[in-house]
Amino acid sequence: MKTEKFGSLKRRTIIYGVIISTVIVLSGRLFQMQILNRIEYDKKSTDNSIKSVELQPLRGIFYDRNYKVLVSNNPAYTLRITPAYYDTSLNKILESVLGTETGYIKSRLQKNKIYSKFLPVKIRKGVDFSVVAWFEENSEHLPGVDYIVEMQRYYPAGVIGSHTFGYTKEISPEQLSREKELYKPGDYVGHNGIEKTYEKLICGIKGYSYVLVDSKQRRIGQYLDGREDVFPKKGNDLVLSFEVGAQRIAEEEFQDKRGALVAIEPATGEILAMVSAPDYDLNRFAFFTPKNFLDSVYSDPLSPLFNRATMSVHPPGSTFKMLAAIAALDMGIINTSWTVTCTGGFTYGRYFKCHGSHGTVNVVSAIEKSCNTFFYKLIYKIGLDNWKEYATKFGFGNVTGIDLTEEVPGLIPDENYYIKRYGDNWPKSIMASLGIGQGEVSVTPLQLAQYVSLIANDGKTKTPHVVKGYIDWKTENYIALDYKEINTGVSQDALDIVKEGMFLVVNGHGTATRIRLPDVEICGKTGTAQNPHGKDHAWFVGFAPYENPKIAIAVLVENVGFGSTYAAPIAQKVIQAYLESFKGEKINTKTDIAELKIQ
Amino acid sequence: MRIDYNIKDKFDFGLFLPALFLFGFGLLAIYSSTVNNTFAQENFQRQLVWGIIAFIVFFITYSLPTNFFKSMAVPAYLVSIILLLAVLVMGKQISGSKSWLMFGAIGFQPSEIAKVATIMAIAAFLSRNNSNIDSFKDILITLAIGFTPVLLILLEPDMGTALVFVVVILIMFFWKGISSFSLFVVLSPGFIAVAAIFGTAYFIIALLFVIGMLFIFKRNLFFSASIFGVGLSSGFFAEFVYHALSPHQQKRIQSFLDPNADPLGSGYNTIQAKVAIGSGGLFGKGFLEGNQTQLQFIPEQWTDFAYCVIGEEFGFIGSIIVIIIFLTLFLRILKLSYNTKDEFLSLVSIGILSVYLIHFIINLGMVVGILPVIGIPLPFISYGGSSLLVSMFMLGILANLYRTRKNYT
Repeated sequence: MKTEKFGSLKRRTIIYGVIISTVIVLSGRLFQMQILNRIEYDKKSTDNSIKSVELQPLRGIFYDRNYKVLVSNNPAYTLRITPAYYDTSLNKILESVLGTETGYIKSRLQKNKIYSKFLPVKIRKGVDFSVVAWFEENSEHLPGVDYIVEMQRYYPAGVIGSHTFGYTKEISPEQLSREKELYKPGDYVGHNGIEKTYEKLICGIKGYSYVLVDSKQRRIGQYLDGREDVFPKKGNDLVLSFEVGAQRIAEEEFQDKRGALVAIEPATGEILAMVSAPDYDLNRFAFFTPKNFLDSVYSDPLSPLFNRATMSVHPPGSTFKMLAAIAALDMGIINTSWTVTCTGGFTYGRYFKCHGSHGTVNVVSAIEKSCNTFFYKLIYKIGLDNWKEYATKFGFGNVTGIDLTEEVPGLIPDENYYIKRYGDNWPKSIMASLGIGQGEVSVTPLQLAQYVSLIANDGKTKTPHVVKGYIDWKTENYIALDYKEINTGVSQDALDIVKEGMFLVVNGHGTATRIRLPDVEICGKTGTAQNPHGKDHAWFVGFAPYENPKIAIAVLVENVGFGSTYAAPIAQKVIQAYLESFKGEKINTKTDIAELKIQ
Repeated sequence: MRIDYNIKDKFDFGLFLPALFLFGFGLLAIYSSTVNNTFAQENFQRQLVWGIIAFIVFFITYSLPTNFFKSMAVPAYLVSIILLLAVLVMGKQISGSKSWLMFGAIGFQPSEIAKVATIMAIAAFLSRNNSNIDSFKDILITLAIGFTPVLLILLEPDMGTALVFVVVILIMFFWKGISSFSLFVVLSPGFIAVAAIFGTAYFIIALLFVIGMLFIFKRNLFFSASIFGVGLSSGFFAEFVYHALSPHQQKRIQSFLDPNADPLGSGYNTIQAKVAIGSGGLFGKGFLEGNQTQLQFIPEQWTDFAYCVIGEEFGFIGSIIVIIIFLTLFLRILKLSYNTKDEFLSLVSIGILSVYLIHFIINLGMVVGILPVIGIPLPFISYGGSSLLVSMFMLGILANLYRTRKNYT
């Protein structure tokens, strides 16, 4: 039932009046604010605004296995320009103060045009303190210019580790668009090596501080006394498997050579030292990197940026003889009483030379003396595909899965490979070379180091890695990272026989007797990788001590010739340096610091 | 009767187009205020998705049979009360109020649903055949229907939304035809209660004012005395409840009643909002060019302060255009309410108008600094899925009403 009063015209008119008067009041207020008092508000708007200042987190530092600092942070000044407030007529003055080429600032700003003009652009990192002092004096005439203190990498341990540690680089627009919640333009991110692999663990979380700034962009105070500020969260510190002493010696040994070295703790797969030579100075990448320096690094024919330890592939040479020996012994094709008489060579289709006449040799003495004839024969007994199966068990032909970004798998040929290459009637004589690790087989130094680890540690190890774990930034607890177990399943007898041969290489009448040490029983094997483009490459693989091996090593020296002359002595020194770190108080220091960290 | 096949006869562009334009303005404001904000960049896309859903909801509501609304009034009301209870038990606290129910990542505010449901429940009750708005019983039951959700929302506590409910209830009373004396009876206890919280002096002044009004209305002594008694006891009750609250809750009520009590908190936002709008001038600083907006000095500007983005970047002209669009929408709904002869639908329509209107007044009043800071969104413009969905749902009811209006004449 509708009453008279319901929704009456009078009541409608009252609501109508309320609506109209509201609109009039609001419009009047807007007119007053936006037209009459506009200038006053305009001034306030430019005079008084809040800016959020990013607080950079500390990047996690790198320790070696005994908690010695390898990579740390140092404060440095970064000059920035906020395009919205900046006057480009200042380019000239700034460029002369910074000592850069003309047009440098323009190109930096141009590059960042895709981002908001209210975001400061980092013009130059690592500027001199004198520049900062000059800026402080003249800041009033430099609108839109400021500087911040940022942390830069520095390397206090005196080791280079360039290919392992890696460096950081300004984030690319592509990565930025993928991870925009984590980064901002101008941020530095890990570009290669550990810095890249572990970026998310070590990068930390940014903080923000809110400050009030006036129209000249001078700070006039903190917003809400900093109550809204968010403190940055430090990145986690990494504990590397490196041992600083061994790494330092390895780098020194390679000062004037080209090649690579990988040393691994056999039981754990922890990489104790890794070198790729020539290397480069990471300090040059930590600060501002001049263009001509970059050009020279990129165009260097020796390619210093290339990580030879994981990326270079060569035939393994005689270091591969143990593989054939293990395959034959494990399959039960031969035992130690099976012998070959070496008269200086072997005929299969054509004549294959040995480097001497070794007389009657069994598997142990064949390894000791590196008799080619023995292994030429042996490979035919094993058969190509069986041989490949064992090579695969020891990790060849596949990437190892090391926690560094760049790695290649190398090549282990099989029947199909040769059929594809040479047709169904491929010459079986090609196989002879494989027995001594020559021909179409290629491996990386890292793979060889893993292979020796497996021989040394009863056919078991873990995926090789350079980072053992990290120290949680919040709890300060050490958190170990897990790595996959590798088990070849090869019989202990086969490994023991081969180890005996390797023992005699150094401590009997073998090819590396010159590196024999009175107090450490080094086992090893020399090798020479044939190089069609020049002088041969020298290999040495080994482990020590004979009982309970603590270190396995692979050394490659490029273009020098025979392995025992060049590669073996380097291995010896690194083994010595590493075992040294176990002696006396050094072991105590290690435990002490480790315990401290865990509390 | 001549059948008009013209689309304008079935579909009211006067309702639809203003909402569409306002939503568009809102998107611009949200985009501008979040484009440089790493933590809120997705809000633009989210609002776009919500917008699409909301427009679908609009068209579904538009096509429903009109008598459906009346039949669902009571169930919807009961469900919304249950949801309001649920939110108190397991709601998620966002910026001080426990007003969100979360379903996985998607959350919504039951108080938004309760708005529509309460309007329909009151409209259903007041449009009974034998209703008498000036009877004590009808007033009391209407108040009970209306104030149950208000009480639950106050417990969240969400003062702004509770205030919206109170105003909506009053406007619906008014539309129904309540006499000025009854209106006074309804208002006086609330008036005294609020004054009591301000302090003893205000309490006494309010009591004297009520006594004065009672003399003017000249009703019988017993009735006048009992009205005074109810007012007096509501004052004491309010004070008792206020002192029983925790200091933290008291502070919230204080800053609601007197924003100057917390100048660094909400007061700071008002100052910056005024600067943003004022510095916009006649034509504005241009889209994405407002330094106040781009430097993100008003926290969460895309929600309740979205109008300042329009003020700063589109200036006086842009701000006035938005106000005029709102004005046309309001007048359109008022006309619809007036012309609808069915009491239930007319009351629902006026209830919806009052929701929009009170949001508009409180939000703009706050942003331009003539009303205290009360955090409620600007319909169709502010960022937020629940608010947009319910706004468009209510608009769908109105459009539906327009479509079938000839059935009720």
